[in-house]
Amino acid sequence: MAVESVSAPAPLLSVRDLHVRFPTERGTVNAVNGVSFDLYEGRTLAIVGESGSGKSVTAKTLMNLLPRTAHVSGEVTYDGQDVRALAAAGTKHFFGVQMTMVFQDPMTSLNPVKKVGEQIAETLRYHLGRSRSDALEEAEHLLDQVGIPEPSRRVSQYPHELSGGLRQRVVIAMALACQPRLLIADEPTTAVDVTVQKHLLDLLDRLRRDRGMSMILITHDLGVAHGRADDVAVMYAGRLVETADARTLFFDMRHPYTEALLRSIPRIEDPVHHRLDPIPGRPPELVDPPDACAFAPRCIYARADCLDGVPELSGLVGLHRFACLHPTGTERGEAALATNRTAGVTAAGLSLPQEAPGSG
Amino acid sequence: MAGRGHAQLRDRDDVLLSVRDLVVQFPAGRKRVVHAVSEVSFDVAGGETLGIVGESGCGKSTVARAIIRLVDITAGEVRFQGQDLAGLEGEELRKVRPNLQMIFQDPISSLNPRRRVRDVISEGLAVWGDDIGSWSRDSIDELMDAVGVEARFGDRRPHEFSGGQCQRIGIARALALDPKVLICDEPVSALDVSIQAQILNLIQDMKSRYGLTVLFISHDLSVVKNVSDRIVVMYLGKVCEIGSTAEIYARPAHPYTRALLASIPEPAPTVDASEGDIEGELPSATAPPSGCRFHTRCPRATEVCREVEPATEQVGDADHFVACHHPVAVEISAR
Repeated sequence: MAVESVSAPAPLLSVRDLHVRFPTERGTVNAVNGVSFDLYEGRTLAIVGESGSGKSVTAKTLMNLLPRTAHVSGEVTYDGQDVRALAAAGTKHFFGVQMTMVFQDPMTSLNPVKKVGEQIAETLRYHLGRSRSDALEEAEHLLDQVGIPEPSRRVSQYPHELSGGLRQRVVIAMALACQPRLLIADEPTTAVDVTVQKHLLDLLDRLRRDRGMSMILITHDLGVAHGRADDVAVMYAGRLVETADARTLFFDMRHPYTEALLRSIPRIEDPVHHRLDPIPGRPPELVDPPDACAFAPRCIYARADCLDGVPELSGLVGLHRFACLHPTGTERGEAALATNRTAGVTAAGLSLPQEAPGSG
Repeated sequence: MAGRGHAQLRDRDDVLLSVRDLVVQFPAGRKRVVHAVSEVSFDVAGGETLGIVGESGCGKSTVARAIIRLVDITAGEVRFQGQDLAGLEGEELRKVRPNLQMIFQDPISSLNPRRRVRDVISEGLAVWGDDIGSWSRDSIDELMDAVGVEARFGDRRPHEFSGGQCQRIGIARALALDPKVLICDEPVSALDVSIQAQILNLIQDMKSRYGLTVLFISHDLSVVKNVSDRIVVMYLGKVCEIGSTAEIYARPAHPYTRALLASIPEPAPTVDASEGDIEGELPSATAPPSGCRFHTRCPRATEVCREVEPATEQVGDADHFVACHHPVAVEISAR
């Protein structure tokens, strides 16, 4: 919200009522439906969701990377500037300078026939007008900063000569070249091994702290979000269904989807052969979504009112918000669950075992 | 780490599958050789689930493929019910294969897109005939029902199903021949988080219902812990640590196992997060390091690790074996 005040700093990034639609042969895909959030200076926000939840489309919208066919509406404000107006005006030195992005697969974000040092230098020359030699020197320095050993040798190597982990570090170096204030990392560690993942996440953490950057971390991995984010936003079927600070989200969640997701994943501290509690069914189609809670068909709490209109996110932006009429951990939620268990079926037709949740 | 040795092999009557000194090498051009699997030994008892865990390039998938002879075995033995599969050719190999079936990581690309799923599932029966096991082409609907795919969709083609459904179809195809051993190669890695648990539970259910022995390959330590009775940890073609799942997660002794457990986003309570900070990069499998293959990155490495390859040795008196010159002290008294 653009309320000017000395005591409460304005958010660095503010997104309001963002909608993204793609026309396809099968009909209009409603990829993002009314997403609103704020990101403050120096904070990390994790956007968590499964494939098709709209998390990557949200990130690409912020970065003005959507195909021309996409219909976008809503407001995106960065440091007081209207980002969508900047995009429409073809502003050159904003995307990739103030706001940059790291993608999942480093091999596709790098040019395979160009030395990595030159690729980083290109960013500096284009956006900041540095000289070639100056930019190459800076590129070497950046490789050092992202923890690449022997940077003077690596600058003149090609991407295929580097391991996946090193490539992703090169991409991070490139994203940092112009001193951005906001880094968007879209599944930055999904393509790498677990030990490399830890190194990369540690690196992003350190760089964010050292530079006072803000970060949006897009991930499907709740574990990654848990350890690395200040705030977490959970997306399902193109909507935010719950947002909170990380602690609240993981230990005092209200949305049944958040709860079900956490319950369904195997955890390292669970005993061997621990029976998992899967989420029944699968995520909905985004073409012609029904006017109802998208999670209702898979939700053990679903009541008749869940099928009548899409529940709104409760509360104010910045507080713990959830879009649920029968939230878990509340009296309404417990009552809905008890009613459904007695009936053996939810209002959306999902059959329920009689036993208590989580047993077995 | 990088161990060889047979201390972990069990002399028991119920061992169904036994891999001894398995070596798989691939030519890499210019006379170079990829040492994908180097002298790996383990066994699996009937009804057991053995998890094989490690990072990319550790050879875990190659071990699985070598067992069912999808890749050629360079040296070593793979004994199934006492018979060495390594030397089998032609008709003899063909006869063994229904006993060992596999499901793959990418459920969609592992199904023929042009065939109806009912035909995909029953193809093995069409080849072998309906009397090979308990399933026949007339009972495919029942099998589909068992894996949770509605039989009325049997005439559809794979692209009409979601990834989770395709993995169920892959499981049905593997079960159609009544295999004794089911090999699962990263069966849930390509699936959405909310679907993974459904498939993991299904594999467990199928295992108990049909008395399967399972080899479960995954990079995900939490998933492997959930499904496995015993675990093999591999690094660069070698066995690091092997033993009962409870033992390995409670008292990881190999520095590499500890690094893996410390690297996952929510580290295991038995290790310190700093143990995940192993240095450097995975060495090339065409020129693996001397001695222990992990020595180039190991915080505990000494001269002996550079020169002598460690053999697997038992840890205490537990079902727990480690190939390391300097294993992390394990508090046996805590048992």
